[in-house]
Amino acid sequence: MSVNTLEPAAAGGRQASLELFHDIEQLLYKDARLLDEQRYDDWFELMTEDFTYWVPVPQSRYRRDRKGLYEPGRMAHFDDSLAELKLRASRWKETTAWSEDPPTRHVHYVTNIEVEPAEASSEWLVRSVVISLRNRNEDEENWLGGRREDLVRETPAGLKLARRKVFIAQSVLLAKNFNTFL
Amino acid sequence: MADILQARAPSAADLDFHRLVDAENGWIDRRIFWDEGIYQLELERIFARCWVFVGHESQFAEPGDFVTTYIGQDAVIAAKDRKGGVNVFLNSCSHRGNRVCFAEAGNARRFTCNFHGWAFGLDGALLGAHEEEHYERCSTFDKSKLGLHRARVGIYKGLVFATFDPEAPSLDDYLGDYRYYLDVLLDNDPGGTEFIEGNVKSRLGCNWKFAAENFVGDAYHAGWTHASAARAIFGKDVKVNVERSYQANINGHGTEFGLDLIGNAMGLAEPEVVEYLKENEARFAERLGKLRSRMVGAMSSSNVFPNLAYLTGFNTWRTWTPKGPHEIELHTWVLVNKDMPQRLKDAYRRGVSRTFSPTGMFESDDGENWEHCTRSNAGVVTRRQKLHYGLGMDSRMEHEEFPGAVYKVQLNDANQRAFYLRWADLMSAASWAEVPQR
Repeated sequence: MSVNTLEPAAAGGRQASLELFHDIEQLLYKDARLLDEQRYDDWFELMTEDFTYWVPVPQSRYRRDRKGLYEPGRMAHFDDSLAELKLRASRWKETTAWSEDPPTRHVHYVTNIEVEPAEASSEWLVRSVVISLRNRNEDEENWLGGRREDLVRETPAGLKLARRKVFIAQSVLLAKNFNTFL
Repeated sequence: MADILQARAPSAADLDFHRLVDAENGWIDRRIFWDEGIYQLELERIFARCWVFVGHESQFAEPGDFVTTYIGQDAVIAAKDRKGGVNVFLNSCSHRGNRVCFAEAGNARRFTCNFHGWAFGLDGALLGAHEEEHYERCSTFDKSKLGLHRARVGIYKGLVFATFDPEAPSLDDYLGDYRYYLDVLLDNDPGGTEFIEGNVKSRLGCNWKFAAENFVGDAYHAGWTHASAARAIFGKDVKVNVERSYQANINGHGTEFGLDLIGNAMGLAEPEVVEYLKENEARFAERLGKLRSRMVGAMSSSNVFPNLAYLTGFNTWRTWTPKGPHEIELHTWVLVNKDMPQRLKDAYRRGVSRTFSPTGMFESDDGENWEHCTRSNAGVVTRRQKLHYGLGMDSRMEHEEFPGAVYKVQLNDANQRAFYLRWADLMSAASWAEVPQR
């Protein structure tokens, strides 16, 4: 089977204008900066109400295996609605979130952006690569990289993220926790 | 020469483990969390000797289904054969020692080594080799003796365990009366249990015993360590019931628990799960009796010696696999009743991810604690300071129903002392015959 599970773009020949591409790129950079700054309430403003967020755990299986690297319904790092993501983030606001004080220092790096048409005429399939650098306390450092597949929707309030899937490379998470979004 | 070197080398086996672990007075020597020699002896006397969890029967639905895992640091394959039995054997070729199977799970007819094409069956037996004719006149090439080294396998209500020690007691004897407590999750429904597919795996820079002791009996940390998660989920702090809560332990296995039915389950923030528990309390009681039916989703944590842990209510099961004295790999699964509706299974799966996984609201704080409880021991003066495990020294009680050593109030170090006492018993014993029943 294929090792690449990313969705194909919709047929039909729509193409993002340079201006739209620029706006989407800026959206993703802002998204990354808000996460670095841990401004989660502002980050949630980038999402539509029906936003879903999925970060599956990749399984190391043989190529011939009938099951894939990623499958819906398996245990995942995240498989959340917007309300559920907000619940997670609400913990970080508590003064008793000991492991976030002193705070983790975050750098989210976004690259390899591609914009392709999605099924709905107001939506775009946006692929990107994200790399997260986290450093905390004296010398604790973790790197985590993944391929992202976003659904970006044009709304009266501007461009919004309507869905995000993140396909990380690590099967065994090489860290004690995963205390950020990608 | 080798003999001389060996004779001179100081051995961890000479240490007095019942002095390092002073269970009677509640003091623990910090070297047991740091020392490489002690760790190597743990691999021999704990992990190569005890029954270690390798998987759930639901992971082996079809012949050929397999998972790869570890017993201590020994890599193993667990595979279901054509007769329906689950076999556990070393994942290291008998020819040059290469790892044989690199996938974490799947379905296979055989396991073929990448190096010289030696192929092994679902029971570990050597089936053949690439260009086997070269071995025609090799008298030591006896296929019946060149299989992958097998472990003994035991199954208790869906949980598959294995041990490499032929002298170990049977799995039923090893679990003993602790099965009463295991049944709370494993046998509350006639349809039995299954693992939701997949798991979450992560690495923590801590000694494996800090994770195990946390689950065997540390109810005390929850109110403080997890204050932020409790406030985010419940809007207030969580208090343990000091009237009707307990600790119980048998041979180092232990559980701390209340009888509140839904205390842990509330943490999932999945209302359907709480409804399910309330609606089915009477059904649970038919199988488990009234007292145990109140434990099914209760505020509780448990650890089966040495490194299998679980939480009622959240229904997460996990293993702490050592990767050295200062590192573990944590595997997290979700156990559900087979006959539950799919929506409820999904609620458990997504709830565990939000609470007890590396992205979870509870677990992030645990990892930070365990890592720094371990790392601080790099200091030689630090290592000389003993740790206090004296809470609840006078809380032993008799209970008409609960088996094992039972203690009043789940806020207690009793189970942790019992865990370390079992550890010291095993570390001191040259054979199973010398290990006392506790």
